[in-house]
Amino acid sequence: MLGFLLVVLLIPYLIAAYGLLFVKLRWGLRLFGVFIVATIGLLTAMFLVEAYPIIARDGVAVFLEARWDPVRESYGVLQALAGTVLTSAVAMALAMPMALGVAVTINELLPARWRGVFGSLVDLTATMPTVIYGLWGLFVLGPTLQSLVNALAGGTVMTTPYTLFTAGVLLAIMITPYAAAVIREGYSLVPKPVEEAIYAIGATRFEAVLIKLRYVRNYIIGGFFLALGRAMGETVAVAMVVGGNLAKFTTNIFESGITISSLIALQFPNAASYQYMAPALFAAALLLTLFGLVINAVAIYIIQRGQI
Amino acid sequence: MTAERKVEDITAKRMLINRLGLGLFALLGVAAVVPLFLIIGDVYIKGIDAINRLGGLWHFLTELPPTPVDERGGIGPMLVGTLYMTALGALFGIAVGFPLGVYIGEMRREKFANVARAGVNILVEFPTIVVGLFVYAVMSLAKEDLNKYLLYPLSKALSPLGGWITWFIGPLDGFNAYAGAAALSIIMIPYVALITASAYASIEQPLREAAYAIGGRDFNALFVVLRKAVSRAVVTAALLGTAKIAGETAPLLFTAFGNTYYAPFTGPTGAVSLWIWYAAQTPYDVLIASAYGAAAVLLTIILIIFIVARIRG
Amino acid sequence: MSPTKNTMLLAIIAAVVIVAVVAIALLTMQPGGSSQPTTTPTATPSPPPTTTSVPSRLSGALTGGGSTFVAPQMFTWSKTFYQVTGGKIQVNYQSIGSGAGAAQFLEKKLDFGASDVPMPRDKYQQAAGRFVQFPVIIGSIVLVYNLPEIAYSKTGMYLNLTSEVISLIYMGEIRQWCDPRIKALNPGLADKLPCRDIVAVHRSDGSGTTAAFTLYLSRAYPAWNQTVGWGYTVNWPADEKAKGTGAKGNEGVAQAVLQTPYSIGYVEFAYWAKNRGKYDQVGGVAFVRNDNDGKYYFPTAENVAMGAAAGLERYTRRYGAPPAPDADWNPVSIEFANPPRGYPIVSFVYVFLWKDYAAEGYGDAATKAALLKEFFKWVLTEGQRQENVVEGYIPLPSEVAKIGLEALNLVKP
Repeated sequence: MLGFLLVVLLIPYLIAAYGLLFVKLRWGLRLFGVFIVATIGLLTAMFLVEAYPIIARDGVAVFLEARWDPVRESYGVLQALAGTVLTSAVAMALAMPMALGVAVTINELLPARWRGVFGSLVDLTATMPTVIYGLWGLFVLGPTLQSLVNALAGGTVMTTPYTLFTAGVLLAIMITPYAAAVIREGYSLVPKPVEEAIYAIGATRFEAVLIKLRYVRNYIIGGFFLALGRAMGETVAVAMVVGGNLAKFTTNIFESGITISSLIALQFPNAASYQYMAPALFAAALLLTLFGLVINAVAIYIIQRGQI
Repeated sequence: MTAERKVEDITAKRMLINRLGLGLFALLGVAAVVPLFLIIGDVYIKGIDAINRLGGLWHFLTELPPTPVDERGGIGPMLVGTLYMTALGALFGIAVGFPLGVYIGEMRREKFANVARAGVNILVEFPTIVVGLFVYAVMSLAKEDLNKYLLYPLSKALSPLGGWITWFIGPLDGFNAYAGAAALSIIMIPYVALITASAYASIEQPLREAAYAIGGRDFNALFVVLRKAVSRAVVTAALLGTAKIAGETAPLLFTAFGNTYYAPFTGPTGAVSLWIWYAAQTPYDVLIASAYGAAAVLLTIILIIFIVARIRG
Repeated sequence: MSPTKNTMLLAIIAAVVIVAVVAIALLTMQPGGSSQPTTTPTATPSPPPTTTSVPSRLSGALTGGGSTFVAPQMFTWSKTFYQVTGGKIQVNYQSIGSGAGAAQFLEKKLDFGASDVPMPRDKYQQAAGRFVQFPVIIGSIVLVYNLPEIAYSKTGMYLNLTSEVISLIYMGEIRQWCDPRIKALNPGLADKLPCRDIVAVHRSDGSGTTAAFTLYLSRAYPAWNQTVGWGYTVNWPADEKAKGTGAKGNEGVAQAVLQTPYSIGYVEFAYWAKNRGKYDQVGGVAFVRNDNDGKYYFPTAENVAMGAAAGLERYTRRYGAPPAPDADWNPVSIEFANPPRGYPIVSFVYVFLWKDYAAEGYGDAATKAALLKEFFKWVLTEGQRQENVVEGYIPLPSEVAKIGLEALNLVKP
């Protein structure tokens, strides 16, 4: 009955919210805010309920230990957290320069008629189905990176093509457009007087670009966090190239590893056959949520401080 | 570099740095789109070849999928399912995502708007399979009562309209197209909201004040007067989101479930992305070919949406 | 009308148009099966629809799901059955994973479930006596390796392996290809085996393939059973102690082995067969010794079928009767593993059906039961004929198929 009410009341709720938009705009908008917060709340509640069995059994150990041994019903997700952090770090380190490059290329370097085309291409990069990226990573990117890294290092650094590094590079390609979109938005908003002032003091174009980028740093931060969110949540493509050492805690990005999202995607289909695996996976989802909360708090703090 | 620098200081060195710096930015920018060409090229070369081998375009778009022992086949049922679920999901995703984006973009001084923004940011990073599980759980809770009190009487009342109505409205199975569309819309909402929000947030303050001054009511200021500043971004957001959910796989697994036959949307429904995901992993050439063909079709749909948007924008 | 509104309106109109087009498309395809799949007009050996006429009084749709491994085969059965019944019976099967198949079946979201392992013991107890399970097809798992020095294309020989050596590699105890224990099994290749680290590739997703592979090792090499055990996912010691690595899906493992020199991996037979030429270039596929009769077997269909039949024989000898369809099948799958003779790494696909669909609360239970009986009767008889079996799968020996036919009799019409 509860679920029934939930589903049935959804429609009048949204209609009411839309109606309110015309009458009392702010309250109408707030209803949409409530809707999304309620959705997150319900999702988190579901994670909590589903994860409860393993938290009741193991306490916080499930978050602090690295193991994955379904045969003995022994689970810990720290290795996945480490993998998420490492792949996201690699991805962000590569994606942010590329995103800046995209923004500068579009706004400064390209002739006006090519801007739209190039911008569309970048946006298109964001919309490619992730499964296609995954297949490309499996057959093309992984092997290429392996030979490239090994040739540069002059030894066997990557024993397999599928590592945390591979996943990070693939992620970087996938998330660059998200960061780029936000930075471009800000970049195009640098006021004309500011721009004229920059050139008036005799700056070269490169110097002007640097000044303008500093001017829009809030957008860069915003783009950073949007892209970071995507990097941490990406599932299918990462699952195909990350290698997938489910139990091993590693900080070497050239080894196979696992991320939280890919752990969930890889292990969920058969989790129902084990007593505690599904709860452990929901605990992992809970951890990702918590992690996301912390990062968002940091983001809001940084941005608000930057706005002084 | 400070303002005191004089114009005459432009030395060869600075010019060199200028060249190198701009060149680096250009290189990075181009690097971001090179993989796109590699992937699109790969998909189309293999996809077009596959479609020809599997019986031509029309055949491919309408027929049932091939089995490993077939020579020909298509993606008909999955294409129908993808179009239907994507359209519904996008409609709902835009309907909620757009006002939500306005809220978190325009009312940033409200505490609750910041909470909502954090919520949206977190929703973006939920693994999409989890969203599917959430809809699955709600569907399991609601299905029986929904059928009993609403859908069964409704389908009876609508039955004079003809048998076709049962393809769209009727008692739901555990897996159905509407659950799939709901999962897709939950994934789409944060995309649309975030891009809308950043578009609104980027409106310059003088413009905003002018809008409020002449718009009279808040509603007019936000949705009518400021349209110019944000319409392109919002359309892009809607299209990006639509294209994104058209290719989603994981959230459909436990909601739409997938189907390889033409069947009512009230029951298990196929999706092109599910087919790609499944067929690409099999060892059979004909299935892999159909996956590439399907990827080419999906990509074409996305490209068409895109080009239409760009021509309008 | 403002442009913003116009755009929104246009988007909405576009969506409505799409929905309408879909609706019209569907309408023209009504009723039911007028969208006849064209049987291939080419002269190539596509299977002619079987001659046995299936009574066409029945019509309807069934939903099943589970095992990823069986999906291509189940899909082929489904489509052929759809064709021979004149488009009246749609059996929709989706590969959602064996574990999910069992769970969704028990939750009554599916009309039938398919799994690479029998119903797990604790789940069996929840529904004991109310459902039946029986095998529908057999698969085999092969060990592929990438060893450029002794590639089949250079030496004309494949490696010999035993359960002990395979276990020790995945346990991280045998770390190099020039290990004396590998050399001892391969006198002809001994001086060519390189002293390079072994990269042991395994599945990163939970899978029936891993379950069958680890069950075999558990049965054949006791130390494996004590330290690792068996299941959809296990904790691979090689990951910690040596150069173990994971990959997603059979496809991922097959690809990882092809890409990684000095690696070894286990995949379903069909994934090797498809890439046979490529594997022969970089390495090959292993002969595996059946420890019970001491012979090395190549994974041919005959050798695998021999193993399956021998497994059933051993079960019947030990328990006095062939397994009952409504019994717990975990002991059965253990007897099937590492059989007395034949290729030893064999995997079965089991199907779950309820005994009484009405009592389990399914709508339209009588039709459902009749459709299921019709379909699986066809699967266990016509479906096992060579033209209906996909490359890489092995038909059931008739004595195993008989168990399934008996199970169908237990399903209440």
